[in-house]
Amino acid sequence: MIYIFSFTIIYTLIRQREKLLSKKRNLILYLFLSVIGITLGVVYLMNPYIPSITTVMERYMK
Amino acid sequence: MNSEVSLRQITFMYLFISISTILRQVPEALARDAGRSGYLSPIWSIIATVPLTAIVILLIKSYPGLSFYEIMSHLLGKILAKILIFLYLIWILLALIAKVTAYSLTMQFTLMPKTKSDFFMAVMIILVFYALIRGIKTIFRFSELTLGTVLILFAIMFICALTRIRGDYLLPVSTIKLKSTIIASKYVIAVGGNIIIALFFADKLGISVAKEQIRKLWFGLLAFTLLAFVITFFTFGISGTSLTESLPFPFYITVKSISFFNIFERFEVLVTLVCILSDFAAICIFAILLMRCFTWLFDLEDCNSLYTPLAMIVFYLTYFISSTQFEFNFLYRYVIVNLNLIFQYAVPFILALLCLAKRKKLKKQF
Repeated sequence: MIYIFSFTIIYTLIRQREKLLSKKRNLILYLFLSVIGITLGVVYLMNPYIPSITTVMERYMK
Repeated sequence: MNSEVSLRQITFMYLFISISTILRQVPEALARDAGRSGYLSPIWSIIATVPLTAIVILLIKSYPGLSFYEIMSHLLGKILAKILIFLYLIWILLALIAKVTAYSLTMQFTLMPKTKSDFFMAVMIILVFYALIRGIKTIFRFSELTLGTVLILFAIMFICALTRIRGDYLLPVSTIKLKSTIIASKYVIAVGGNIIIALFFADKLGISVAKEQIRKLWFGLLAFTLLAFVITFFTFGISGTSLTESLPFPFYITVKSISFFNIFERFEVLVTLVCILSDFAAICIFAILLMRCFTWLFDLEDCNSLYTPLAMIVFYLTYFISSTQFEFNFLYRYVIVNLNLIFQYAVPFILALLCLAKRKKLKKQF
């Protein structure tokens, strides 16, 4: 999935470059969210069995 | 205008997106926390949902044509409004992730237990993308058209199930359990609070909202309470409390025993379909709300390009937040319900108090 998402992100960037480049804020927000998404994807790809936030919460709340 | 929606459409949407949660989480939570008397909890929920509806109407009427963010800015100032919108953004993101998880878990529990959840999520993302491209009005129209059919289906199911109800599963109701039924009603209240989506679309309602439109909102609340009560009543009456509290989707098991004069059977497939449609509408609406929050927070004009990175974030966060049924149950019980109570009730309540305090000034302005 990470490859499909990465391709879609690049495709959207090229397709909507005029809109994204028209305002600095748009581009920064787009890149910021893309980086978060890709980071999450890479972390999941490296370790798909990483304990979820709920598991950690459950451990501490019990 | 293409983007305008009416309160009638919002009411239908409110009912439609609430159905999946009423079917899945509410009976199980009420059975666990209130026992045999739990089916009375939806009635207690009106103590909170009626004032919330009144608050929504008050804010819409006091600030005609203004968005939720503009109302907040008027009442709290721009900085506080931005902070609140940021918090709403986080809450909506979490609610969206929970909805996606619930949808994929439902699919695995009911129809395709061997299929991985990423397949269901990918299909849903494509469908939501397609719907969002078509615009807000398409999603509202979709729920408007589907809700009627769904309600007729439920009516038929309930008529067929009347003979299956066991009195000993429902009675006697003891006064000792009264307190626990009231406390457990928070699970119904947390779903009923979805009515605040009307505030998120307040700027799309036009300058003047007719009394008839306001009545639709009250009708929606009444229908919601009735639906929650009837579904819980039938689930408890047919499956019993002990089975209901131990199942992730008790209503699905309940309808397995229903048949229409032995002609039509296997209503559970239709219930799954209703759940999927309701989840689809809810995911679409949460995605729109998320985008609206981004627009208000960063003063954006058009944020359609953000759908792709946000879809990626939501997709992977579902794994990092909760992936199994047990984890999801925990998340829903301790996090989602409490956050819903804060963002659906506490914040609008504070806004309503400020609105009442500033009413004299407002009358001069509008």
